[in-house]
Amino acid sequence: MAYSKEVIEHYEQPRNVGTLDKEDPTVGTGLVGAPACGDVMRLQIKVNPETNVVEDAKFKTFGCGSAIASSSLVTEWVKGKTIDEALTLKNSQIVEELNLPPVKIHCSVLAEDAIKSAIADFRKKQAERNGERKAENAAPAAQPSQGGK
Amino acid sequence: MDPFATLGLPRRYDVDPGELDRRYRELQKALHPDRYTGAGASERRMSLSKAVEVNEAYRVLRDDVKRAEALLALLGPAPGGERETVSSEFLMEAMELREALADAKHARDLSQVQRLAARAEALWAETRRQLAAVFSSLAQSAAPAEVACARALVNQLKYHQRLLDEVSLIREEAEAS
Repeated sequence: MAYSKEVIEHYEQPRNVGTLDKEDPTVGTGLVGAPACGDVMRLQIKVNPETNVVEDAKFKTFGCGSAIASSSLVTEWVKGKTIDEALTLKNSQIVEELNLPPVKIHCSVLAEDAIKSAIADFRKKQAERNGERKAENAAPAAQPSQGGK
Repeated sequence: MDPFATLGLPRRYDVDPGELDRRYRELQKALHPDRYTGAGASERRMSLSKAVEVNEAYRVLRDDVKRAEALLALLGPAPGGERETVSSEFLMEAMELREALADAKHARDLSQVQRLAARAEALWAETRRQLAAVFSSLAQSAAPAEVACARALVNQLKYHQRLLDEVSLIREEAEAS
C-alpha cells in the first residue's frame, strides 16, 4: 500500500522525537498501544502550570509509518495550545491532514488516545501536587498541638 | 472460514506440525490443476478456489499468533468491539524493550541486541506456553474469563513477535553490511 506524501514527509522527518522527564510534575505522559499490530506510542507534553499552555511535546513511536506520522503531527499541533484546546483534537483531523486510508485510521485513533492520556496524566499529577500543598499549609496549624504544651 | 475444518484437523491450539504439513500436501496434490485438465469449467473453478482456501488455512494454522486468533474468532466476536488493550505495565515493558533495542541498533551493539533477543524469545516462549494452557482449558468449557485471558495473551504474543521481527531485521542489516 502506498503512503500519502504527507505521511512520508512526517515519517522521513519526524518532528519532536524524544523524551521528556516523566518524573517532572509539569510533564504528562501518555503511553498507548495497538495490540492488533503490536504498535506502541509514547507522547509527552510539558505544560506551564500557570497558563496550562503546552510548551513542549515529544513522542516516540514504534510502529508503522502512519502511526509515526500521526504522533509527529499531534506533537506539532498541540505545542502552544492550552490543554483544553488540545483535548478537542479529533482523530478525524489527523486522518484528513495525513490522507490516511481506512485501514490506517486506527493509527490516528492511537495518537488521539495518546494525547488524551498525556493530558490526563498531567492533570492527575497537578491534582496530587495541589493536594500536597494543601497538606503542607495545614501542617503548621497542627504543630502546636503536637508540641503538647 | 474455519481453517481447521478446511484442513480436516481438530480444532485445538496445539497442532502437530508434521500432521499439518502432511494434510496440506495431500490436499494440494488432490486439488492440483493438472488433475482437472479434463474437467468442466465450473469444476476447475471450484477446485481452484478450494486450493486458495487450503493455502490460506495452512498459512493461518502454521502461525502461532494467527492460529490463536482463528480459534478466538471461532469462539465469537470480541466483547467491546475492536479496541483491545494490554495492561499499562505490559506496555511500559514493551516500550522499554523497543527503546533498548533501538539504542542497541543505533550503537551497533550486537551483543546487546543478542541479550535483548534472548529476553524477547524467553517472553515469547513463556506467553506461548500460557496460551497453550489456556486454550486447552477452553477446550473443556469456554468461560468468558478464560476467553478474555486468551485474548490478552495473544495480544502480548504479538508484541513479543514484533520485537523479534525487529531483531531479525537488525541481524539481516548487520550481515549485509
